[in-house]
Parts: sequence; C-alpha cells; structure tokens
Amino acid sequence: MERLGSLWGGKFFANLIPVLFGLLGVIITNLPFSVLGNWIPSPMYALMPVYYWCLVRPDLMTPGRAFLIGVAHDVISGEPPGIWAAAFVATYAAIDKQRDAFAGLSGLGAILGFATATLVACGVHYVIFSLYRWQLMPVTGSIKEFAVTSILYIPVVVVLASVHRRFVGPLRREF
Amino acid sequence: MGNGIWRISRARGRAHLPLAVVGALAVILILFGKAETSLFDRARTDVIDWMRPALVTTRVPMEAMSRWAGSIGNIFWVYQENLKLKEENARLKQWHNTAQVLTERLQRYQLLLNAVPDPALSTVVARVIGRANHPFLQTMILDAGKANGVKPGQAVMDQRGMIGRVYLTGEHTSWVILLTDLNSRVPVSIEPNTDQAIMGGDNSPMPLIETMAHGVQLKADSQVVTSGDGDILPAGIPIGVIVPDGRSYRVALFADQTTAQDVQIVDYKQKPEHPPSVAQQELPVTAAGLAPVAPQPQVTSQQQVAPLPPPLFKPPPVQAAPQKTPVQPAPQPGADADPGNQ
Repeated sequence: MERLGSLWGGKFFANLIPVLFGLLGVIITNLPFSVLGNWIPSPMYALMPVYYWCLVRPDLMTPGRAFLIGVAHDVISGEPPGIWAAAFVATYAAIDKQRDAFAGLSGLGAILGFATATLVACGVHYVIFSLYRWQLMPVTGSIKEFAVTSILYIPVVVVLASVHRRFVGPLRREF
Repeated sequence: MGNGIWRISRARGRAHLPLAVVGALAVILILFGKAETSLFDRARTDVIDWMRPALVTTRVPMEAMSRWAGSIGNIFWVYQENLKLKEENARLKQWHNTAQVLTERLQRYQLLLNAVPDPALSTVVARVIGRANHPFLQTMILDAGKANGVKPGQAVMDQRGMIGRVYLTGEHTSWVILLTDLNSRVPVSIEPNTDQAIMGGDNSPMPLIETMAHGVQLKADSQVVTSGDGDILPAGIPIGVIVPDGRSYRVALFADQTTAQDVQIVDYKQKPEHPPSVAQQELPVTAAGLAPVAPQPQVTSQQQVAPLPPPLFKPPPVQAAPQKTPVQPAPQPGADADPGNQ
C-alpha cells in the first residue's frame, strides 16, 4: 500500500515536471536580469522543455500543456493574449508531425532540430503579431530571438536531460 | 542531444484531436483578446498579483548571480574605473556649486516676479520584479500598484532620467511600457529652443524623434525633456540627448533600463494653472489712458451673436487748446530732417 502511494506520488510528480519546467522557463524569460544585455531579446526558455518532452515523452507534454505554457508566456510578458500560445501550439504541431525525424537526431543534429522548431515558433509569432497589429513588424528582433534561443538550448538541454534521467525517465515503465 | 539517451515514447495516438482543438482555442483566444482587451488586462494583473511572491523569490538568487557575474568582469577594470570616477567626482563638485548658486538666483527671481512655483511631485519607490524584452514588446513589472497610489499614465524614472510610463496597474503590481517599446509615444521638448516633438520607440536602444515641426534642425547633444503636453506627464523630466541618425534624429537615453532595479513612479497631481486675477489699474488699456471695453453679456450657445466691430481709438482730451491748427503730418526721417532740432 505504501509502495502504491509512492508510485502514485512519483507518477504525479513526473507528470508535473515538464509543465513546471515550462512555467519556470516563462518566469526566467521575464525576469529583470539578462546575461546578454538588453540589446538582445530574452531567449524563449519555455520552448525548450516543450520541445524536449514533446519528443521524449509526448504523453507528459500534450498540446494542452504546450498551450497552457504559451498562455502563461502571454500573461507574464504582457503581449496580447493567445499569440505565444498559438505559436507554441503551431510548433508542437510541427514537432508532432516530424517526430520521427527530430527524434533520430543527436549531437549537432539535435541542436539543428531545435533550431528548426524555434524558427517555426518565431515565424508563427512574427506572422500572428503582424496580422494582429496589421502592419509589417521589424524582423531583426525575431532573428535575434531565434539565434539566442537556439544557442542557449545547448546548456539547457543538458539540465533537461539530467532531470529527465533522474526524475522523469524511471517512471516511464509505468505507462 | 538527450534524444539519443532515452527511447522515444510513441504514445502519440491521442495527441491529434486535442491538437486541433487546442489550435482552435488559441485562435479564439487571440480574437477574443483583441475584442476584450480590458478583460484580459484585468486577468493579467490579477495573475501577476498572485504570482508576485514567486517573482520576488525567483528574483533574489538571480540578482545575486547577476551581481556575482558582473563583479568578476569588473575586477579587471577597477583601477581605471577608480581614476575615471575620481575625475568625474571633481568635475561634478564644480557643477554642484554652480547649480547651488543658480538655484538660489532662480528662487530670488521667482520671488521677485511672483512666479508660480513648479508643482511638488511626490514619488513612489518600486522595485523591478519582471522585465519582458521580446522582439515586439519591452515592458517592466514593478512591485507597487493601486495600494501604493500608482495609476496608469504616471512616469517611471530612475536616478538619471525617465524610463517609461505605467500603463496597467494591479493591486500590488504595475506594468510599465518602456520608452523603447514599439507602442511608446511621449511628447517631448528639445532644448535650447524648446522644439516640440513626439518621441516614439521602435524596440531599438535609442527611441526615434517622430513628429516635429517642418524644417527644424536639431543639434547633437541637445537635451530632451518631457514637454508636459496632455497633462499626463510632468514637464521637464530629463529623457536623453539628441543623436543624429542620417536624416532623422534619435534620443540616447540617460536612464539605463537594463540595470535599473529600483525606480521612482512620479505622482503628478498638478491642477490646471489659472493666471491670477488682474486689477483694473494694471491693464495696459487703462495704463494708456484708454476707456476699458465694457464686459460682454453672457450668451448661450443657441444665441447667434453678431461679430463686434473693431475697437475704436479715442485720443485723450486735449487741454486748453487756444487755437485749432490743422494736424501736421509727422516729418519723415529723411536727408533734410534733423533729429536734433525736434
């Protein structure tokens, strides 16, 4: 009975970890500190857990959760509601469609895979925002955001892999 | 990277239907958000008020890390920085003395002229607990809200100059739109000729001077301050200096929004200034010996009023005129006119 409770608690915890990391990414993105200065937009840390767990554990990173993380991003960043949510869902759809191709990548290929997903997110965000404002927005900021997010995925994915190995991975056998 | 370590789960069968539903939800959210902005703003402030402890808590280790990382870089520049600061300090002391003398002189002049003093501005000190630096958005979240008397429209500044203005307030938090944001438009005055202009952000570090009177040429390093137009922001808050950028002009901001952690929210409560009532003897017409024009009757908007004829000049009565002589025209200054004989 005690073991069952432990398993239940463990499963619940494993279920929450990807979303919590996504929300943590949202908060870190919008903290008033930047290691890169203000001339470069903050990286989309929230997209990294979405991409990572969408590939390795799609049962824990569902479209609804990606949408939730996107809404949280909209709320905290102060952008019009739904724009980042739509961008995240569109990126999720792209990853989901090409999951086999993305999942087979490793090393530099994995980084390029994430860069592709980031390109989708930034592109969708750019298009939706331009439509929302009904004017062609400057593209420089989006390019910088794409570049900095892709580069910073390298250190962050090490942390995500470690968390996955320690906390999320062992629970996989329950599914 | 991590993808090769773990076997990829194939549990994706159920993901398709929710994806379509969630995509539709996102579109609905965008459209609904466009239609009902105030509703989402209220929800946003409520959420941020609720998240405030988490933001403050997360801020502490990040601030420590940022300081630590910054201090490592600064170690190599301490000596040069110290020399530079000493020189700057000596120069600032001279300016301080000059400023004190000029302030006292200005106060004496204001007293002599019975000038209306500048409005007293009260400020609320707040801490930055969030900063969004995205491609199309640059905002800050402060830990002061309605409970502290913060209202939308108030100016936010650090010790050097203006950073932005409050556009949304929650109970304990408020949102600041930075001067560099795409949506920022601030009426400014450019010294020394007090040229009026509108300064707009374009997400670059230096906002653009957008609207200005035709043909005005600005000089580099001219100071830019708020003009106070619209009675929203107080006049005279320093913003930055002019930097020519091709055919246009940009403003290099005094305030550094990347490092500002504690800011002041300026509470501007100035009432409209009414000029003091003037005594009859002080009117220029009376002083010139002319009869004052009778006050016009109060007219309602429905009544049609005929335009008044222009006021006639009545010369003062001439005393003891023994003989009527025709008025001679004043001699024109010319070659035969000797000003010394008149």
